[in-house]
This record gives sequence, C-alpha cells and structure tokens, in this order.
Amino acid sequence: MSAESSRTDNDKDGELTNLLDLRMPGDTGAVSEVTDTVCATLTELNIPEEKRMEIALAVQEALANAVVHGCKNDRSKQVRCRLERDRRGRIVIIVTDPGCGFRVEDISDPKRPEGLNADHGRGVYLIRQLMDEVHFENGGNQIRMWKY
Amino acid sequence: MDINARKRGQVQLVQLRGQLRMGPAVDELRQTIEESFGNGDTRIVLNLAEVGMIDSSGIGLLVKFLASAKQRGGSVKLVQPSKFAVQTLRLVGVLNLFEVFDDDEKAVASFA
Repeated sequence: MSAESSRTDNDKDGELTNLLDLRMPGDTGAVSEVTDTVCATLTELNIPEEKRMEIALAVQEALANAVVHGCKNDRSKQVRCRLERDRRGRIVIIVTDPGCGFRVEDISDPKRPEGLNADHGRGVYLIRQLMDEVHFENGGNQIRMWKY
Repeated sequence: MDINARKRGQVQLVQLRGQLRMGPAVDELRQTIEESFGNGDTRIVLNLAEVGMIDSSGIGLLVKFLASAKQRGGSVKLVQPSKFAVQTLRLVGVLNLFEVFDDDEKAVASFA
C-alpha cells in the first residue's frame, strides 16, 4: 500500500479537500489495512463513532468488491481509494478498480427470501444502506459515495 | 482476529475478538468452524461481544455455517453481538435467522 496526503482546496470536482489517496494490490488480505487507515483519518477528523463505523464498513465493502470483482484477486492489479471532504464537511469516498465494471441493475436484493441464506451478494446493498449518496461511475468500476 | 474455541459439553464455544472481515479473520474462523464440523461438533456458540464490525464476507460465513450446522442437526447461536454488529445483521435481514443470547451459559444451555 502506498499513501500520500495532499490538500487541493479548489478541486475541479467541487472544491474538495483531498485527505487520503491510497493504492493497494488486488489482494483480499490488503483490504482491512486500507479500511483501518481510512478509519484512523476519520478519527483524526473527530467524526462521531457511529458515523465512522458506517463509513468504514462501506469502504470495506467497496474495496472488497474492487479486489474480488474488479481485480479478480490478482495482486498485480491495483485498487485506488480516495478520501475527500467537501466544504460542507461531507465525507466523500472514491474507490476505483481496473475491472470492466458491472450493471447496477443486475444486483439482486439480498433481503429477498431466496437471498437470505446466500453466502455472498450483500456488499453493494450494505453500501447503499450505510451511505447517504452512492454513484457508480465509468461503467461500474468506480464508486463514489458520500456521508453527510 | 483472536479466536478461542473450547468445548462445553456437547457445545463448541467460540470467543472472537477483533473485526470479522474479509481476509485472515474470515479465513481463520472458517477453518475453526470447519474443523468443528469435521469433528462432528455442530452445536456452535459464537461470542461476538468483542467484535466491533462484521462485513458482508463475515455475514456470508455466519449464514453458511448456520445452514450447514442445521443440516447436520446442530445450530449456530450468537452471544452479545455489539450494537453495530446487530445493526449490520439487521440491515441485511439475517439477524432473525439466529438465536441471540446475553451470555454464554444461556446459549450453551439452549442446546440441552
């Protein structure tokens, strides 16, 4: 994992402050380390614990999807995770993978009776429940999510 | 994640400490429970009092073990899941699949 931290108060995407810009290999073993780094930064920002936990779990799910689906568990591929904050104090997380994306409409509701006993398929649903706004970009290989 | 498994009569009591997330934590718990099943122990109590976060990978594992244990005549029961773990399990609709107890003794006794 490599990390850099910089401030760009007039980001072209909407005056965002860049808090973290991390890159990790397509390895499931690396996911939690990045999540914990994001969580530590949220702690430094005095984000309340409940909100911090919700953001951390959403990040964990987004990174896991990027590694498993975007990188196909290939360590030679790379996932990028950015943590930003806008001028209204909203937290923005952007996770990008090198995969070919997916169709959001193909994701089924894990709370349907046939999905309750499944051992996978809850990640995107959790992200949508935990975050206030979620956008899938570039055909699905980038997720941008906000916590107000 | 720290995993401490011990037998209480016919019940395998597993104490977890840390975050139940994709990677080593989920892999180690999978191995622990599969070893229990391999030994014929299908009555499992998981103490989650010190598990702050469970991700979808961990949830999938718990649900899979519950189904496997029930197929073998046992079950997986939860003790003291943290507030955030309860919230997460409820969000995805699986909390009601599990019996949840305040302490280990009640959970173990429920198998009698």
